[in-house]
Amino acid sequence: MNNVKCKKYFRPETLLELKDFLKNTSENVSYIAGGTDLILHAREKDIYENNIIVDIFNLKELKGIKEEGDKIVIGAGATHTDVEQSDIVNKYAKVLALACRSVGSVLIRNHSTLCGNICNASPAGDSLSSLAVLGAKLRVLRDDKIIELDFFDVIDKPEVNKLQNKDLVVEIVINKLDENVKCDFFKLGRRKALAISRMTISTICKTDESGNVVLFNITCGATFPKPMTFEDVNNILIGKKPSKELIDEVAKKLSDKIPEIAGIRKSTAYKQPVCEKMVKRVLSKMLLNEEV
Amino acid sequence: MKIDFTLNNKHITLDTEPTKRLVDAIRDDLSLTGTKIGCEVGECGACTVVIDGEAVTSCLVLVGQVQGKNVLTIEGLSELEIGRILQKCFVENGAVQCGFCTPGMLMSAYALLNKNQNPSKEEIKEAMSGNLCRCTGYVPILNSIEKAKDELKTLSKK
Ligand code: FES
Ligand code: FES
Repeated sequence: MNNVKCKKYFRPETLLELKDFLKNTSENVSYIAGGTDLILHAREKDIYENNIIVDIFNLKELKGIKEEGDKIVIGAGATHTDVEQSDIVNKYAKVLALACRSVGSVLIRNHSTLCGNICNASPAGDSLSSLAVLGAKLRVLRDDKIIELDFFDVIDKPEVNKLQNKDLVVEIVINKLDENVKCDFFKLGRRKALAISRMTISTICKTDESGNVVLFNITCGATFPKPMTFEDVNNILIGKKPSKELIDEVAKKLSDKIPEIAGIRKSTAYKQPVCEKMVKRVLSKMLLNEEV
Repeated sequence: MKIDFTLNNKHITLDTEPTKRLVDAIRDDLSLTGTKIGCEVGECGACTVVIDGEAVTSCLVLVGQVQGKNVLTIEGLSELEIGRILQKCFVENGAVQCGFCTPGMLMSAYALLNKNQNPSKEEIKEAMSGNLCRCTGYVPILNSIEKAKDELKTLSKK
């Protein structure tokens, strides 16, 4: 293949250098972190020909995963492997570690970034359903200031985000869950490694001493046009003791959202029953310790 | 653009287009053709190289991104003790047939054993999950890595 065609390639050494550059340019900017998606897109079409490619992968300020009080902060340069192996993420947001572990293969995870997964808004983005149940926020560098945007508001529709030109997502922010929150992530693909998601399911749940659910969130990914969670689905379990009947109700309600939101498509006949079955399986194992 | 990095333990400066794929820079600019090109979309692992200790698909990395990094290709691995052991085990255990996947397989195996001297069968499978082989059926490859692991252990005890 030829090179990725672009107007210019710029690799700032520091965030300061990047900010200076952004202040002084009115060109279209495309950021590259790991690049595993950008290079593939460029293969199909010269879509970056008139853009400046800004390489942020090695910016030290954007590497790493840290704690900030009751929050986890994940830098835009953190790879899926970094997130999957992070002690902080495994302790306080395990569902995200599990989701990152399901991305591509080790070879891809070692270079692709979680932030890239969000910004590319891939409909099959494996991590997105886990970020949805965690209610992630994004810190975005816009006009030399950092603003915080809701993750749900940034992804518009498949492969389209709502960021403005030059906006750079610098960090992903997640509220820590306490250590006894149960969670699970499930990915349905056509093969074990390198599968493109047909569907993912992410869930988190916490019960109090008497066994009543005090926190519950579940959603599926690679299913809706953008990441979503549903209060009416979550409310089925909240305040109650998990039972087979309630789990069946959650499964039915969540799977009914598929035709409701995505409309009836060819895949609906497949996705709706699969979603129902998978939700039952995941929740029965997680909450009742039963295999179904 | 000039890109400074370490390639196979030697510092080099490469003057090339930074938006060239790393695999093309390695094969065309540097004439190291041990790294293969298969699918070109990150699915086969034929182009695997190791950057700062991590195995990656070099068809999905731009050469500009390796500025300041340490890149190891199959040519560099063949000069290391661990590379020679892996090569011997692959040959002795029938892990090489057409050989097209072999450089990538060896790089992934190296990245694993370099980090984890005692990987379980599952960990070996996981580490090799991004490398496809159309000939061997994988079992001889996995066995070879087990053997290499044992040989490396014996070596480190000496
Ligand atoms: S050629 Fe790079 S993964 Fe196949
Ligand atoms: S030996 Fe032929 S592809 Fe693996």
